[in-house]
Amino acid sequence: MAYPYRHEKETRILSEYFGDPEARTLAGWRERGGYQALEKALGMDRDAVIEEVKNSGLRGRGGAGFPTGVKWSFMPKDDGKPHYLLVNSDESEPGAFKDRELIRWTPHQLIEGALIGAYAIRAQHVYIYMRGEFFEPAQIMARAIEEAYAAGLAGKNILGSGVDIDITLHLGAGAYICGEETALMNSLEGRRGQPRIKPPFPAAVGAFGMPTTINNVETLCSVPHIIKNGAEWYRSFGTEKSPGTKLFNVSGHVVRRGNYELPLGFNLKELIYDVCGGIRDGRKLKAVIPGGSSVPILHADEIDIPLDYESVAKAGSMLGTASVIVMHDGTCILKQVRRIVEFYAHESCGQCTPCREGTEWLARILRRIEAGAGTEEDLDLLLDVGKNMTGTTICVLSDSAAAPVASSIRKFREEYLAHIRHGKCTAAAAA
Amino acid sequence: MIRKTEEMKDRGGAGAAGTGGSKVRNPGWAGETGDFGHLTEADIRGTNYVGQRPKDGGHPGASCSMPYQLAEKNPEAPLFEGPYRERLEKILSRYPEKRAALLPTLAMAQEIRGYLSPETMEEVARVLDLSPAYVRGVATFYTMYNKRPVGTYLIQVCTNVCCNLCGADEVLKAFLRETGTELGEVSADGLFTVVEAECLGACGFPTVVQINERYYENVTPEDVPAILESIAGAAVEPTEAGRTGGGAGA
Repeated sequence: MAYPYRHEKETRILSEYFGDPEARTLAGWRERGGYQALEKALGMDRDAVIEEVKNSGLRGRGGAGFPTGVKWSFMPKDDGKPHYLLVNSDESEPGAFKDRELIRWTPHQLIEGALIGAYAIRAQHVYIYMRGEFFEPAQIMARAIEEAYAAGLAGKNILGSGVDIDITLHLGAGAYICGEETALMNSLEGRRGQPRIKPPFPAAVGAFGMPTTINNVETLCSVPHIIKNGAEWYRSFGTEKSPGTKLFNVSGHVVRRGNYELPLGFNLKELIYDVCGGIRDGRKLKAVIPGGSSVPILHADEIDIPLDYESVAKAGSMLGTASVIVMHDGTCILKQVRRIVEFYAHESCGQCTPCREGTEWLARILRRIEAGAGTEEDLDLLLDVGKNMTGTTICVLSDSAAAPVASSIRKFREEYLAHIRHGKCTAAAAA
Repeated sequence: MIRKTEEMKDRGGAGAAGTGGSKVRNPGWAGETGDFGHLTEADIRGTNYVGQRPKDGGHPGASCSMPYQLAEKNPEAPLFEGPYRERLEKILSRYPEKRAALLPTLAMAQEIRGYLSPETMEEVARVLDLSPAYVRGVATFYTMYNKRPVGTYLIQVCTNVCCNLCGADEVLKAFLRETGTELGEVSADGLFTVVEAECLGACGFPTVVQINERYYENVTPEDVPAILESIAGAAVEPTEAGRTGGGAGA
């Protein structure tokens, strides 16, 4: 557990007050220095705020790692249209459980970051789109929003600055795809959560047809710290191209699962064996998914890498949401990949044929192999189907389903073959 | 058998932490390290901070934040009266288009009635000036809207990868066994529906189970009987007795 368990190697900025119930309240948040950054930002030129965030090198924490300041700078300046800031709090990627903690421990951290972001991009309304299952965090956020309004931090003329920013909490209703930014906009508008074709990009035509920016919870929670302490300070953490700290959410077969805030570039092996206390039950490591279920799997001997966007990509995977899923040697890789693929088959929005059909076929073929009725040709078939699902659809859900299949066949081919030859899992049993 | 107080029932058995701690090993918040000793459940869940959310939704900005999977449901209740009408007006005031109120309004309908029948969807369509077909098209896209009645307690067991690695399949089996149901069906006494859930976003606390509006974390198969008793103990007892009696008679 990450809190109150603290590892000495952590650098706690966003997560400093996890486990501190007083920090949740407006009074408590202010006592801890909260809303000073908002006051500072409101005293700055809007473009200076964008510039500061740009200089900090902060990259989107929702998975893609796009520079936040650059994204903000795409918003038009004097178009006279309503602008919107959408907070992506749809956290649904298997392995990711960081935003829920940020919201339930420090709701005002998010509100403060969202207000600064809204000010910078000239948005008059912030919609916090939270996944529907998060009833508990939603109640906390609702209370925090009410506190913010009562204290004049939201609504008309916030903090006497002459700036109007409304905040509305919006609950989803159970659809992974709504974490994709254009699907989220459709869902917010009361439609099916199906992704839109880009361009036009949200900064031009977004929610309700107006210029819109969508940021992840963790991204926005980083913003107040950057404004308060400056871009240079932020750059003192992490690497040149991936500055700052990141919440690493570690699950699976480690001794201490949880959220650990570490500078980007922290070593994956050290994270697993030192920070998380190693592998459970005295077992050996078999595989790691470093960035949530949609990224390629890494073999146990590929984990001596720095956890930053570039290094993980170089190792053939992606940092994604830094949701590290650890599997020990008693794990049946085929079963877990099948479960992941079934998830994508369930969550496909059905819009694009390669995804709608492909995810279902991958699941069917994997179930066939798992049931002992597979052939060696099935492996080529899986790779072929996966290839046709990659880069052929509106969004990347399709690619995400294909990635774990292809990478696991490449790295654990023997295990697939053993299933085919013996009709059952020998790897998990032998370990 | 220990009778649960009303308060404990209301909190979904959460109170068991203090009084019957051994019954529910982990009421959904304690970490395995045991380091949570200095924090109460209210500290972690923020229940004191949140208080009781008003039916009219409170501040308009927070008006569509109410849990919409509750034990209490009335399929016959009117949808848009009293505080619910007030909440609807607040929700409508937050969006530039009426259609955007659809998800929150469907959620409110489910909160009141427990599920969305075609008739309920029609009522929602009327109040938002949408066609019933459109509303149905949207409602069926999202898994959290119940298109059929569910038990008093909807038990959603995450079996996705992170929970699966840590034994979620066994937890799911335990819930099915203890409730005597098949996946997705309502138990004979109307109390339980057990379904498999996709990732619930709490992967550090496997196995994660959502029962109505709250999460149970770090659930093991051994925890299941105690969890069921803590949420529905008082309700289960007479039914069990009745069932035994009925069985003997038949």
